[in-house]
Amino acid sequence: MSDVVLDRVAKHYGATVAVESMSLRIGSGELVALLGPSGCGKTTTLRMVGGFVPLSSGLITVGGRDVSALPPSRRNMGFVFQNYALFPHMTVAQNVAFGLEMRKLGRAEIETRVTGALERVRLGAFRDRYPRQLSGGQQQRVALARALVVEPDVLLLDEPLSNLDASLRQEMKIEIRQLQQALGLTTIFVTHDQDEAMSTADRMVLMHRGRVEQAGPPAEVYSRPRSAFAAGFLGVANLVPGRMTRMDTGSDTGRGDGFVTRAGPVLRLRGHRSIQGDCVLALRGEEVTLRTGQPAGDENALSGRVALATFHGVAIEYHVETEAGLRLVARVPAPGVGGPEVMAHGAEVLACWAPDAGVLVAET
Amino acid sequence: MIRFTYAAIATIVIGFIVLPLVLIVWMSFFSNPILSFPPEGYTLDWYRRAWSMSDFRGGFFTSLQISLCATVLALVLGIPASMALVRGSFPGRDTITTLLMAPMLVPAIVGGSALFVFYLEVELLSGVQVAGRLAGLIIAHGLIALPWVVKLVTTALTGMNQSVEEAAASLGAPARVVFLRITVPMIWPGVVAGGLFAFVNSFIDLEKSLFLVGPGRTTLQIALINYLEWNFDPTIGAVATAQITFVTLLLLVTSRYVKLHRAF
Amino acid sequence: MPSSPPPAARLRGSGPVLPAVLFVLAGMIAPLALMLRTSFDRFDPETLIVSALTLDNYLRFFETPFFREVLGRTIAISALSTAICLILGLPVAYYLARFPTGAAKSRLLMLILVPLLIGNAVRTSAWMLILNDHGVLAAGLARLGISGPLGLMYSASGVMIALVSVLLPFMIITLNSVFEGIETTLEEAAGSLGASHLTTMRRVVLPLTLPGVLAGCVLCFTLSMNAYATPVLIGGPKFHMMAPTVYQQITEAMNWPFGSALAFVLMGMTLGLTVGLTLAVQRRYRRWMA
Ligand SMILES: Nc1ncnc2c1ncn2[C@@H]1O[C@H](COP(=O)(O)OP(=O)(O)OP(=O)(O)O)[C@@H](O)[C@H]1O
Ligand SMILES: [Mg+2]
Repeated sequence: MSDVVLDRVAKHYGATVAVESMSLRIGSGELVALLGPSGCGKTTTLRMVGGFVPLSSGLITVGGRDVSALPPSRRNMGFVFQNYALFPHMTVAQNVAFGLEMRKLGRAEIETRVTGALERVRLGAFRDRYPRQLSGGQQQRVALARALVVEPDVLLLDEPLSNLDASLRQEMKIEIRQLQQALGLTTIFVTHDQDEAMSTADRMVLMHRGRVEQAGPPAEVYSRPRSAFAAGFLGVANLVPGRMTRMDTGSDTGRGDGFVTRAGPVLRLRGHRSIQGDCVLALRGEEVTLRTGQPAGDENALSGRVALATFHGVAIEYHVETEAGLRLVARVPAPGVGGPEVMAHGAEVLACWAPDAGVLVAET
Repeated sequence: MIRFTYAAIATIVIGFIVLPLVLIVWMSFFSNPILSFPPEGYTLDWYRRAWSMSDFRGGFFTSLQISLCATVLALVLGIPASMALVRGSFPGRDTITTLLMAPMLVPAIVGGSALFVFYLEVELLSGVQVAGRLAGLIIAHGLIALPWVVKLVTTALTGMNQSVEEAAASLGAPARVVFLRITVPMIWPGVVAGGLFAFVNSFIDLEKSLFLVGPGRTTLQIALINYLEWNFDPTIGAVATAQITFVTLLLLVTSRYVKLHRAF
Repeated sequence: MPSSPPPAARLRGSGPVLPAVLFVLAGMIAPLALMLRTSFDRFDPETLIVSALTLDNYLRFFETPFFREVLGRTIAISALSTAICLILGLPVAYYLARFPTGAAKSRLLMLILVPLLIGNAVRTSAWMLILNDHGVLAAGLARLGISGPLGLMYSASGVMIALVSVLLPFMIITLNSVFEGIETTLEEAAGSLGASHLTTMRRVVLPLTLPGVLAGCVLCFTLSMNAYATPVLIGGPKFHMMAPTVYQQITEAMNWPFGSALAFVLMGMTLGLTVGLTLAVQRRYRRWMA
């Protein structure tokens, strides 16, 4: 068992608080993605787990064993650095062999394991090259092989894909995930890219200002953000501030809750959790449809004009300036994939969405 | 534990470097007639004495004069050369850079004695006396100073992001304005550091000047060495303290504008 | 279409280097050339120089036990003090490089930089007050009950002590900038792979600093081969090293041909040994550098 537990871990640099209080359990064999905006403390957290940064307070255990005071060399963790940190004066094979030499393994064993590790990352032919003779993706794989070959209890990756181009990133993402699952490695993966986090992780931990903002399986976090910050970070296009009111005299189609937006109009809600006081309606662009005729059923409908349209391949995002004073973003399928004709700038439209669409989240 | 070991070693080693200087400053106030320990009392007399001695006072002003002239000479020759070396596109730039840096690599004793023999040969041929004259010293010190200017100004120029100049030009600034408002401010730290290192290294030079000083025209460093040959009293301490203060102040003032340790 | 620029354009911009180039040619290259030529002349007590083309001066140098000894002593002292500077300088330079950036670090660096620019004359005279028989060290030892003449003044060990102290800042500053250039993640990577601090230093950091170590050693070795103030002031009149001997031959004996030969032997030895060292080191790191 090599589950990792962070218990109220904090790190202060003088007056700056890098990590305020992180509590988190990473199950054995689980891949957890640490996600958050720049400066939220992801790297610091990861480096504390790796042993490069002493804790200001709190505790880190691996498989129940307190490692907080151990130096990195005695934690048996594999660390992949953002800049890879390959030893420039050693060949690929020497880089990979380094950790095994530190473990005082025999020559023959080192040789077989290095060869195995390089085969696994498909770099067998590059073993005698020096790091500067490799491409970014190859360097990345050497770093991975070097971390994995020592059979670490925990694998730590700090934005391992951020220096790669888009297609290579896609490829390496899958490769890392497959390796991690094949080896059953407990893994922490730091990233600021939500797609990367969602597509690789068993569980996603969203950080904000040195704290866990929200944690859970990617699908859950994605569909049910708990705060405006989480919603915004996860790409929810419309964050409408306001407050809930009970509204007994709804429309004909049934009763619902009312949401008084700060901009003025009252919106119809159904099936949302109830939040007292100020809150935010987080509405994805996909949930908003644009119509030119009448709203369907008991939809919310605000009339307005197209202020901006941006093309995204499969979709077009329209920014609609409504007469009520709200600016809404609607993401509709592009004409090429069966969507409606492109609407011109200034076109009059009705932005509509169902009363049960979106989520209500706390304001902060 | 590791940190502590390093800190301990660093303290001892830095002490080994700095402590002698602290001691000489302290001992310059001793009233002992020769430099010895422990102190018999304290006095400022040695400072008065050092100031009254023409070797020291004259030496200081001669040194100041030579170093200032050498620095100006090095800046005037070195800045345009550095600009051309970094920005120009003519063949042999590496060779020329090496040539301009060479005076730093040739041992001062060798360079000084060569210049001395050269001056005397020139004098034999043309009757113009250079050795023992101020001009001779300024040329020698200009050679000490030039490599520092070239080194630090070229470093500043190469380290400078040239797209900044392009940005200024694309914003409509004519070449002259780009140079004055963008280039000069950006390489200014290099120029200041170059000038400072040129000046100080010229000021403290001993070996190269040895051959070139003449009667009644000694630099401060040579006056010190000559005095030490026959005397060993706290006057030395007073002169040393003055020099330590002078150099320290210069460095402290400049270090507010430039990262001096990057010069090496 | 890209094509090589016409010759006129290729020379464009070379004008501003000319004054500086002429200055160095006239102030350094020409004197050195003349000195080389002089070293093949013959000395005459009456007319000083007799034009000739002879190797006598060099032969005399290598045939006279006294001069051979002076050269040997100079090389030995230089090699030893360079080695000591390296051993003492490495941990200090590393400590400074890894010191958190800030005012305290700048102050520490000033403690290295200021002595470096105080000058040999002052720094050596400071060592005279420590090493002489009535000096600080003797007084300190007497207090501990150890008395009697120290014998450090006018001795090789005294010269070594002062030389190491004078040269250390050069070594530390040079090494420091090299250590600053080595990413700390390399050390962390080695650590997380199980290497202890000393192993990390030996296997990862030091191999990467080799070019800087070389630069520091070349600098210290050159400075100490050519040291003048320290051997003269601390070593005294009976302690001979190369630089004071050159000075004495040229200005006192007025034997320019022989003095010139001495200067060239000194420069040749310095260059030869440092180039040899450089080549030896380069062979080790050439593979991954370029
Ligand atoms: N050594 C340090 N000294 C002082 N402050 C630090 C130090 N390291 C990190 N910080 C601060 O702690 C906070 C968190 O930094 P951290 O590097 O963990 O962020 P991050 O989430 O990894 O950001 P990024 O996505 O930009 O890498 C930042 O505000 C940073 O300025
Ligand atoms: Mg980070």
